[in-house]
Amino acid sequence: MRKSLSGTRIREQRRQAKLTQKALAEQSGISASYLNLIEHNRRAVAGKVLLAIARVLDVPASSLSDGVDSAKISDLHEAAAHHPGIGAEVAGIEEYAGRFPGWAGMVAALYRQTRDQEAVITALSDRLTHDPFLAESLHGMLSNITAVRSTSNILTSIDDIDPEKQARFHEIIHEESRRLTETAQSLVTYFDKKADPNAGIATPQEELDSFLERHNYSFPQLDDLGEAPTNPVETAYLVNRILVNDGALENPEANRLVTEFLQSYARDSEALPHSDFAKKARQSHYNPSEIAHAFGTSMHMVFRRLAYQDAARTAAPPMGLIVANAAGRAIFRRPIADFAFPRHGNACPRWPLFQAFATPETPVAALLELPGRHKFIGLAIAEAQDARAFGQPPELNAAMLILHYEQRALLSGWLPDLGATRPIGITCRICPRKACNARTEPQILGDEAEG
Amino acid sequence: MVGRVLIVEDEPNIVESLQFLLEREGLEISVQSDGGRALESVRASEPDVVILDVMLPNRSGFDILRDIHSLPGKRPKVMILTAKGQARDRDTAEEIGVDIFMTKPFSNKEIIANILGLLA
Repeated sequence: MRKSLSGTRIREQRRQAKLTQKALAEQSGISASYLNLIEHNRRAVAGKVLLAIARVLDVPASSLSDGVDSAKISDLHEAAAHHPGIGAEVAGIEEYAGRFPGWAGMVAALYRQTRDQEAVITALSDRLTHDPFLAESLHGMLSNITAVRSTSNILTSIDDIDPEKQARFHEIIHEESRRLTETAQSLVTYFDKKADPNAGIATPQEELDSFLERHNYSFPQLDDLGEAPTNPVETAYLVNRILVNDGALENPEANRLVTEFLQSYARDSEALPHSDFAKKARQSHYNPSEIAHAFGTSMHMVFRRLAYQDAARTAAPPMGLIVANAAGRAIFRRPIADFAFPRHGNACPRWPLFQAFATPETPVAALLELPGRHKFIGLAIAEAQDARAFGQPPELNAAMLILHYEQRALLSGWLPDLGATRPIGITCRICPRKACNARTEPQILGDEAEG
Repeated sequence: MVGRVLIVEDEPNIVESLQFLLEREGLEISVQSDGGRALESVRASEPDVVILDVMLPNRSGFDILRDIHSLPGKRPKVMILTAKGQARDRDTAEEIGVDIFMTKPFSNKEIIANILGLLA
């Protein structure tokens, strides 16, 4: 199990504040012996006690609580595994992150930077190999050069060519030279654009993720589409305006992904108008099934609307969302605090997301626990994406809505018995659960007890 | 020399120079620019040699090469003439069974010598 690090952080902050245990305990209204247990991570600390300690130490309570470091610790584990020759003390990673959060953050950030740059190099290499524009341009240039070379060679090496044919060959050389120049110019323009260091280079899916993050996963311009009759031209205009105002999408494939996302968002808004949807969501205690039934939509549409909503406009609890195709590839990702989605590789096969594929159109609910002891409610369903036809298997996508377990009171009255807590991970590579029979890859973490 | 050559190539200016060069050698030339109709042209013109581009509209040169190999009876010799000159493209062509693999841009002398060699 991953230890709680709150105590370590409190001890470190107390030392920096030059306070004794006794002084901090007194000012926080707890006994010194209790503080001693907390500082040695032998008692959990939360709520009023945590707030009181944070107030005395004059630091935000969030900087002392667990959860803030889970992504950082995962990155440190990955960094250690990525460079086994360095001999980083894997068993001390959590202690390190707790005692020196700034330095740990820097190491994690440097590792992420290295990893992201490796991904960029791979993407660039893929682009050079598979870029259709480059391939077509180079093929065209070779054809132009072939025609010029062969024709000019005929003109220089053969004397008895009739004048009409000679004129024709000159015409070919002129025509092919012009085409060659045009292709070369378009290549220069292409490389100039790609050489812009501010443009950034990422995979199209990463560009979509960054785009959504920039816009805080909601688009108020599209949210009210269902409130009044709209037409496709108006919707296309709104989508295009968002893209133009954003102005940061360079990759045509990323542009296509974002456009498709926004069009899907617009369709969801039209089918689930904001005010009616928000009202029904509250009334039904955020029951996706009841909302879908009330509006006659799919559950996936309700999931998306719940996850991609403007938090400032609604009092709804934060919800994460992941949508995957039958091959397990993530199509949409809306992260939620403490529940990281894998950037690379496959997600944990124990997620209800994948269970849903076994029973299409049947909702699945589960109580999930990550190795850091964070608990979540996972609601998943697999649905056909296209009109069903005889003799053709449906194209299934599965979606999983994720809520913090602490928000369960908001889901009162409809949430089924979630049964026993299901231990899950993020991805096998960074999952410490040794005894997991769903493991598909060896873990790259150090020797750590199962969480 | 007498012989029939089919040029399967979608770049008309390359076709024009090839046709000029090969007709000067006394060869009978036919041309097809659509990959999807290449096999039909092979059947119709019964060439001794096919000069075959790889990147063609509707059907790739590699697929056409397979088609030619599946023809019953005597099959024409095939020269692949392509801008796709990577080792794996050459390997693919040789695995299917090409007689000569040439890359663009070509030398006029070399291409004539190769065609005449295939007809000899």
